Amino acid sequence: MTQLIWNGLFVGSFYALVAIGYSMVYGIIKLLNFAHGDVYMLGSFTGFLLLGSVSGLLGTWSLPVLLLVLLLSMLFTGTIGVIIEKVAYRPLRSSPRLAVLITAVGMSFVLEYGIRQIFGPSPRVFPVRLAGDPIFFLDARITLPQIVLMVIAAALMYFLQRYVMKSREGRAMRSIALDTQASLLMGVNVNKVISRTFFIGSALAGAAGVMAGAYYGSIDFLMGFIIGLKAFTAAVIGGIGNLYGAMLGGLVLGLLESFGTNWLGGQWRDVFAFACLIAFLSFKPTGLLGERVSERM
Amino acid sequence: MSNGIPRSKSRARSLFSTAALVASVALVLTGCSGGLGGSTDGGASAGADGEPIKLGMIAPFSGSESAFGDYMKNGAQLAVDEINKAGGVNGSQLELLTEDGACDPTTAVSAANKLVTAGVKGSVGGYCSGATLPTLPVFNDAGVVMIIPAANSNQLPAQGLDNVFLINGTGTQQAAAAVKYAQKMGATKLAVVDDNTDYSKDLAVSFTQQSKDAGLDVVLTESVNAGEKDYSANVNNVVKAMPDFVYWTGYYQEGGLITRQLRDAGYAGTILVGDGSVDKKFAEIAGAGYTDNVFATFTQTPDMLKGAEAWVASYKDQFGDEPGPYSTQSYDAVRVMAEGFKQAGSTDTKAVIDALMAIDGFQLFSGPLKFTPEHTLSSGGFAILSISEDGTFKLEDDLQG
Repeated sequence: MTQLIWNGLFVGSFYALVAIGYSMVYGIIKLLNFAHGDVYMLGSFTGFLLLGSVSGLLGTWSLPVLLLVLLLSMLFTGTIGVIIEKVAYRPLRSSPRLAVLITAVGMSFVLEYGIRQIFGPSPRVFPVRLAGDPIFFLDARITLPQIVLMVIAAALMYFLQRYVMKSREGRAMRSIALDTQASLLMGVNVNKVISRTFFIGSALAGAAGVMAGAYYGSIDFLMGFIIGLKAFTAAVIGGIGNLYGAMLGGLVLGLLESFGTNWLGGQWRDVFAFACLIAFLSFKPTGLLGERVSERM
Repeated sequence: MSNGIPRSKSRARSLFSTAALVASVALVLTGCSGGLGGSTDGGASAGADGEPIKLGMIAPFSGSESAFGDYMKNGAQLAVDEINKAGGVNGSQLELLTEDGACDPTTAVSAANKLVTAGVKGSVGGYCSGATLPTLPVFNDAGVVMIIPAANSNQLPAQGLDNVFLINGTGTQQAAAAVKYAQKMGATKLAVVDDNTDYSKDLAVSFTQQSKDAGLDVVLTESVNAGEKDYSANVNNVVKAMPDFVYWTGYYQEGGLITRQLRDAGYAGTILVGDGSVDKKFAEIAGAGYTDNVFATFTQTPDMLKGAEAWVASYKDQFGDEPGPYSTQSYDAVRVMAEGFKQAGSTDTKAVIDALMAIDGFQLFSGPLKFTPEHTLSSGGFAILSISEDGTFKLEDDLQG
């Protein structure tokens, strides 16, 4: 039982990190950024390249090096996120929503098959593997890397929450989500704030990518597709557009999958998780923490 | 009188034998000229002179299985080049056309239609069983003979189409090898994990059935979704069922991850993986120290086969890369197809099928070829492999003893 909860929370924290980017972008410009999962993939490939270039340092300094690589990859994917927004979404901001949606799907393919051209179709193996002896806690097997990764994920989410809720820029983001026109009239630099949102969301996805690469070990050009879909689901469960909702939704989806597999077998996992999603949304269409979304609309 | 008859008889006999001798010399000569000159004799029946015989190949060149596409294409191309260098088939050169099937039924069907329109006389592709299955009727309607190098679901021969031949061992044969090995290891509680694809499911079902027939207890059949990274929930189910033998029937990418996660979750028993998992990347993904007590069922690969060094060298020479899984099978598929055309003396569907069925003892990498009435290999040629320290698979047990 505790094992199931632990597994669910661990997977869920990855979903949550990716879901935040989905949710923030949606909250601000009402765009489902389908390329978001591929930014996660890009993050793990960046980490792969960076780690490959410092492989001499790895033996003794694994953890600090990994943290540094994590930061650099976040900077890189964040920048890519900003570029994607500038190139693919900004020119279409006044076009119908559908046009931007299709562009997002196109962007996703550009990233996937661009990486395939560079790194080839076969999976790559991360130069660093986080491994550790298990600790038993209430019958659950927990490893040190799992704890480290969850702490990093929690820390990232904590800083984000502080930033969005307390800082001046965070207030600008929330005001744009509330009413873009009014914010513009009040002197908020809307383009700059949207760029910043893309930077943060993409950096978090990149961080999740590096962490997944280091923990699971294999990366490939299509790895962002499924997690993108899952993160989108998590964002919807939590109430899309809502920061806490994305975090909560990620954890809930992780737990649903974990328990679904246990009760019904692996073949029924997604049926169970998505049936829950449908049932849930038909009773509460705004998601778990969705009230604030409806206020915004 | 009594003398005359025998004499005339003997003269007739000698005349006859002279004629026979002349005729046979003439036959040998034409046979030679057909073989050496390679244009006049067979060309007429094989189509217009100079027109190459087109062979089509559908393999995954994009998507998650795209690593295999190039292995197959290169293997087939190598055979085409060798045959062309030796004068071609029935006086015509061979030409290989490849199309991306992406391991996706819809893409594969449109690829098949494209190849049929391009006028292929034979198909030497087919990797993912799920994507290959819907292409069978397309090729059948067009009278194109298929020699499928990799896809090996029991569903394929079960369609009963006479143009379909499989030169990879079938799921049933592979499952039989797996069960045999489980018995040999003294395993009693088996678990089988598949990835919900046609090929993998087929192998898992076959394995479960044959294990039960052999009196072994299958404690769990579990399916995972391919393409993910975290299988902790599935692994948890396996560990809880407490098996002493786990058979993974999917591909290497998930296989490596599942192996690692199984060991991390405390499973110490034997892990056996199917032929889709046999790749050097498997051990890399699983990680150092995670491949002990891990075995695979597989038809033998180029590096394990005796006398294949020259073949591997020429492959590397031409493509600058090591051959991978299904390179040899694709190479063999082209050679078998060419042999069929040669024996039939044409590319006529009916004649080629008869010629293929008549083949007995044609040497393939997996052993001498003889098709069963179901158009599959008479012996699957499956062996048990283990993983050596550098991550390559090596022969552990050929299951012959």
